[in-house]
Amino acid sequence: MIWLGAVAVTVLAANGAARLRRAAGAFFLVSLAADAVGASTTSLPLLAVAACAGTVSAAILYVAAGDETYGEEPGWRLWMATIVAGGATAAAFASFRTVAAGAAPPPPYGDDPAGVTVQVAAFWLLSSGVAILLSARSAVRATLGALLMTSGVQLLVRLTTGPHLALSLLVAWLQVVVALAGAFLIVNERVTRDR
Amino acid sequence: MILIATGGLLAAAACVAFAVRKRLAIVGPFTVLALAAAIALAYATPVDTTGDLLDLQLRLSALGRLSALALLATTLLLVIHVWIDEPAYNFFPTALAVGACVYAVFVLVEPLAICGALILGLLLPVGSFTFHVTENRSVEAAVRHFEFVALGGSLALSALALASGLPHDQPATTFVLLVVILFVAFALMLAAIPFHMHAALLASEAPAPALGLYFGVLVPATFVAFAEVLTLSGLLPAIVQVTTVQDLLLGIGLVSAIGGAVLALGAADLRRLVVYSVIANLGAALVGMATLSGPGIVGALAIMLVTGACATQQLLAAGTLEARAGMDRPRARYAPLAAAAFVAGGIGMIGAPPLVGFPGRFFVELIAYQYSGAAGTALVVSTFALLAAQLRAVLALFSDPVDPLRVERRPVAGVIGAVIFLALLAGGLLPDVLLRPIADFVEEFLKALRPL
Repeated sequence: MIWLGAVAVTVLAANGAARLRRAAGAFFLVSLAADAVGASTTSLPLLAVAACAGTVSAAILYVAAGDETYGEEPGWRLWMATIVAGGATAAAFASFRTVAAGAAPPPPYGDDPAGVTVQVAAFWLLSSGVAILLSARSAVRATLGALLMTSGVQLLVRLTTGPHLALSLLVAWLQVVVALAGAFLIVNERVTRDR
Repeated sequence: MILIATGGLLAAAACVAFAVRKRLAIVGPFTVLALAAAIALAYATPVDTTGDLLDLQLRLSALGRLSALALLATTLLLVIHVWIDEPAYNFFPTALAVGACVYAVFVLVEPLAICGALILGLLLPVGSFTFHVTENRSVEAAVRHFEFVALGGSLALSALALASGLPHDQPATTFVLLVVILFVAFALMLAAIPFHMHAALLASEAPAPALGLYFGVLVPATFVAFAEVLTLSGLLPAIVQVTTVQDLLLGIGLVSAIGGAVLALGAADLRRLVVYSVIANLGAALVGMATLSGPGIVGALAIMLVTGACATQQLLAAGTLEARAGMDRPRARYAPLAAAAFVAGGIGMIGAPPLVGFPGRFFVELIAYQYSGAAGTALVVSTFALLAAQLRAVLALFSDPVDPLRVERRPVAGVIGAVIFLALLAGGLLPDVLLRPIADFVEEFLKALRPL
């Protein structure tokens, strides 16, 4: 539960960052917190793959920023995205949870074998990503939203019954390609703006 | 092993091409050779060859083999055009990487993996969409494309992950919701109306070969992947249980078919005409899929594979006509062979006989009438509107007299158009080559729809 709170706070920090480098730093913390959610029930290779992808993606964003000042002011979009994400997370958990309604809540520390926190964290990341993507004005917030969504997908993949390592690797590559494509667009967008 | 070798060859070649991308004299022929080798390997691979990679099962179905051959060959033609006619160094590694992703889509068996490979493929052309960024809005168009793919792709992956993780004793409404999310996600990735805004912007701002890579290769690959994912995800029975879900797909299809045709009628330039024609055909294919019937699905997949080839033919011709006309309006006298290729592509795009596009369109329109009179009529109206839009463009192209003996310098688009036209004609004379593998897949689809 503690790590779930960390995911929520770091996503808010990434969402509220007006500078791309700060958003990159906040996204790095998001990926660490997301890896920590349910880490006790996840194998080490899966955690390593997800951590590598998160670190590389954050580093790509950091480099793409070019300097400390570049970014996109979220303004009212921060609150809109937060409110939408809160509502969507609750709705998604009510519709798609795999845990029985009467099950005991997970403890603040320790194992969560039912995967409640993993699901809630995944839905929060996905709905925050959707809200940020839909309200983005430039490639900066579009990339951030896309990366948050892929982090949510990475968590959901842990709950599937398929080949976990192969799927985690695929989603990790997807996250890195999203970061690379986003960085390419950010750099090009900056060229057109600075002209 | 041969499945991994083919995909690995394309992926490794993409890395090499990226490293030498600025040496155009090397990267062009290298890309052509790599794609030709991959096509030869795919052709040599027997149907139903299996394998595995990191616990992921691989299988080359008859439809997968047909689609891989058709789409890799289309990519090869695009690469030849870029190499000879308008060198753009970003295009070569992008084309090879897209080829690798498309091949992966057709050999993977796990729905989540298919979807992941598809999204990777859809994201890669971002690099080839942007050009002369200080002179046009190609970056804005690429950003919109990136947003639509990231949103649709993540939603699709989430829906599939949830469908795979949920126990089967969930209420039916849960699975219905997942199917709805999956439909919307694929509509976003396919640029179906009302999610076509980025396609319109791309049509006017991105280079013609990059558009060819998206509308000629990736959109058909996405449609085939959609059919495969539905079959393999176990979500199909949920569609049969609630007719509203089927109606949603039918609605998106009809809106795209009619909307695309109307937009094509009013298109201001040749490239927009092609892009809207693709959207109209995509709508017709979605209607075919929504009927959940054998002929409808066979027709839908056939329409999309043929549309990809015709879109490539027309987009390359349109790009050449625009480039040769300079500041003037594109006319046939500037590039007569390219204009002829554009006309030939239009014939294929509307599904006219004797080209191979005819059986697919005939099946879909026939089954749409059986499903509902309104749906059938809408598709016929859409076809006639497309015919009128293509005729309007052809009349504008040939408004000036053309010397029938004159051929433009470096007629690459014209020659590629002729190759595609001959392939479509040969397919029309031997339709079983296209329809038999699709029919084999449809048997699997129908079994997944109503499991015993």
